[in-house]
Amino acid sequence: MSTPSQPSTVITAPGHNHGPLGQRLLAAGYINEQQLNEALAAQSTVDPNEINHLIGRTLVSLGHLTPSLLRQALVELFTEECRNDCGLSGVPPILSMKGVEKQLDGRMVLNGVDLEIPEHRITAIIGISGGGKSVTLKHLVGLMRPDRGTIMVKGKNLYALSVAELQRVRRHISLLFQGGALFDSLNVFDNIAFPLRETTQTSEAEIHQRVMRALDEVNLAGMEYKFPDELSGGMNKRAALARALITRPEIILLDEPTAGLDPIIENAIHHLICDTFMRTRTTMVIISHAIPAIFNWCHHVIVLHRGKVRASGSTPAIRESQDPVIRQFIDGDVDGPVDIL
Amino acid sequence: MVAIGPHDVPPSHRTPVELRHHADWFLLLLKIRARSTLSNKTVVSELDIPSSRTDTSFIPRLRTYVQHLGSYSIDFTLETGKMFIFLAQTLRAVPTPPWRWHNLLKQIHFIGMRSMFVIALTSIFAGMVLALQGFYTLSRFGSEALLGPAVALSMIRELGPVLSGLMITGRAGSAVAAELGIMRIREQIDALEVMGVPPIHFLAVPRFLAGLIVLPLLTVIFDVIGIFGGYLVAVQLLGLSAGTYFGGIESAVSMHDIHTGLIKAFCFGMIITWVCSFKGFFAKRGAEGVSHATTSAVVLASVLILVSDYFITAIML
Ligand SMILES: Nc1ncnc2c1ncn2[C@@H]1O[C@H](COP(=O)(O)OP(=O)(O)O)[C@@H](O)[C@H]1O
Ligand SMILES: [Mg+2]
Repeated sequence: MSTPSQPSTVITAPGHNHGPLGQRLLAAGYINEQQLNEALAAQSTVDPNEINHLIGRTLVSLGHLTPSLLRQALVELFTEECRNDCGLSGVPPILSMKGVEKQLDGRMVLNGVDLEIPEHRITAIIGISGGGKSVTLKHLVGLMRPDRGTIMVKGKNLYALSVAELQRVRRHISLLFQGGALFDSLNVFDNIAFPLRETTQTSEAEIHQRVMRALDEVNLAGMEYKFPDELSGGMNKRAALARALITRPEIILLDEPTAGLDPIIENAIHHLICDTFMRTRTTMVIISHAIPAIFNWCHHVIVLHRGKVRASGSTPAIRESQDPVIRQFIDGDVDGPVDIL
Repeated sequence: MVAIGPHDVPPSHRTPVELRHHADWFLLLLKIRARSTLSNKTVVSELDIPSSRTDTSFIPRLRTYVQHLGSYSIDFTLETGKMFIFLAQTLRAVPTPPWRWHNLLKQIHFIGMRSMFVIALTSIFAGMVLALQGFYTLSRFGSEALLGPAVALSMIRELGPVLSGLMITGRAGSAVAAELGIMRIREQIDALEVMGVPPIHFLAVPRFLAGLIVLPLLTVIFDVIGIFGGYLVAVQLLGLSAGTYFGGIESAVSMHDIHTGLIKAFCFGMIITWVCSFKGFFAKRGAEGVSHATTSAVVLASVLILVSDYFITAIML
C-alpha cells in the first residue's frame, strides 16, 4: 500500500495503513495519480480531515468517477479491508457493558449482558425483535439506568459521571433512534442543523453547507422545508440518520437504520454507512436485521439472545458458527431453538 | 393482568438521569414502590375475579385495603417528590446560559397571545354576570351605588387571576402537557438528552418563564374587560349612572388589592406551567399515556390554583 503524500491527521485504526481515502482509491486503481493530484489541488481547505471528507465528491464533480462507481469502490475497498481485519484482539473497546441487568415492567429484558464495542470498527448487534437490542443501546448512552452492572464509555463509568460530564461525553456520541425521533415542530433542515446549532459554535453559513451536503447524502435534497409529519417513514428515518451523522461524532449508534425501507434505499444507506466509516473511521454500532447484507461490511458481530450475549466475535467467525441459535438467525429458519413470540 | 390507574406510575427507568444526582432517598422509595406494585398486581387480579375467589372475610379485605392505602401513599409521596425535584431543576436551569429568546417568545405567543380571545370572552361575561348578581343583592339593601366597587374588587382580587388561571390551564396548559407528552413517547426528549441538550433547560424553562410573564398580563386584561362588562350591565342595562359606577371603583380599589391580584396571577402562572410540563415530561407510553398526562395535568393544576388561592388570600388579607 502507498503511504500518504502529505502529513495526515486522519484517524487510522491500528492495523490500517491504507492512508487517506484518495490514496486508497489510487491504490485500488479507481483513479490515477494525475486525477488524484487534480482533486487535491481543487480543495479549498488544508485540513486533512476535511480533504478526506470531500475528496470523493471532488473526484465525482471533476468527472473522474461516477457517483455509483465511487460508492461501489468504497464498499469494495471496505469489504476487502474487513476481510483482512478479522483479528480484533488488539482493538481496545471504547464502550463496554459488564453484567448489566435490567427489569422492565416485571420482565428481565437484560439478564447479565457483557459486551465490548471495539474502537474504530463497525459492530453489528443482531437478535430477535423484542430481545432487548434497543434497550441495550439506550443503556450505552445513559438513557436507561441498569439495575445491576457497569457501563464504561471511553474508560469512564457512565453512571459515576456528573451531569455536566455526562453531557460532555454524550456530545461525542450520536444515536439514531428506532423511531427517528425528529422534532415535530422543526422542519427537516432545522432538525438536521439542531445538534450543530445547540452544541457547537458552527457558523450559519457552514451549517447551511453541511446540512445541504448531508441531505444530499441521504437522498433528501429538496425536502429541507418539509416537516417530519409530511414525510414517509423511510424519509423520516433518513433525515434522522443525517442528523445523527452531522456532528461527526466519535461514536455512532444506529438502531435499525434500514428497517422498513425499500431495497434500493437500504443499499444506499449501507453505502452511506461504509462511506462515512471509510472517511472518518468512526466507531459504529448498528442494530440491523439485514443479515446477509451487513455481514459484508461489519467487522464485529454481537448476537443478543434471551437477555444475554449469545456470541460475539469477528464477522467470519459468527458467520461460520455452528451454534444452532446463531444459525437460525443467519438462515432465517422458522423452526429452531429460538422462540418466536 | 395490567395494573390499573395510579399503580401504573412511570417505570423507574423513565426517571431522567439527573434526578438521581439530587436525591438518593428517592431511589429507596422507588424500590419500595416496585415491591408494592408487585404485591398490588396480585391484589388487583384477585379483585377482578369476584365470583369464585372473592374472600368476604374481614381480615383479608382489611389487608387489601391497607395494601391499597400504602401503595397510594407511596405513589403520592413519590409523585410529589418528583414534582418538587422537577421544579428545583427548572429553577436552577433558569439562570443558566444559553438563553433561548426565540423559544421564550414562541411560548409567550402560544400561551399568551393565542389565549387572548378566550380571556376576553370569559372576562366580559364574568363581569356582566357579576354586575347582574351584585345589583340584585345590593338593591335589597338599597346600596346599588356600591356595585362598581363590588364588581371591581371581586374581579381584581379574585376572579381575574383565578378565572384566567383556569382558562389558561384549559387552553394552554393542556397543550403543553400533550405536546411534551408526545415528545416523550416519541423519544424526542430522549433525543435531546442524548445530544447533550438538557431537556429541562430546552423545554421546561421557556414555558415556565412564559407562564410567569403572561399570566399577570392576561389577568390585567381580564380585570379591565371584566369591569367593562360590569359597566355594560350596570349602566347600559340597569340604568346606574356611569359616574357612580366608575367613581366608586376609583375610591374603593387600593394598590394593595391590585398587588394581591397580580401576585396570585404570578403564582398561578408558575403552577400551570410547572404542573403541565411535569406531567407531559413523565407521560407514559402510548396515546393513553399522553391523554392521561393531559387530563391529570389540567385537574391537578386547577386544584392547585384554587387551593393556593385560598392560602395566598389568607396571607395577603
Ligand atoms: N420503556 C419501556 N418500558 C417497558 N418495557 C420496555 C420499554 N422499552 C422496551 N421494553 C420491553 O423490553 C423488551 C425489549 O425491547 P427492545 O429493546 O425495544 O427490543 P428490540 O430488540 O426489538 O429492539 C420488549 O419486550 C419491550 O416490551
Ligand atoms: Mg428495537
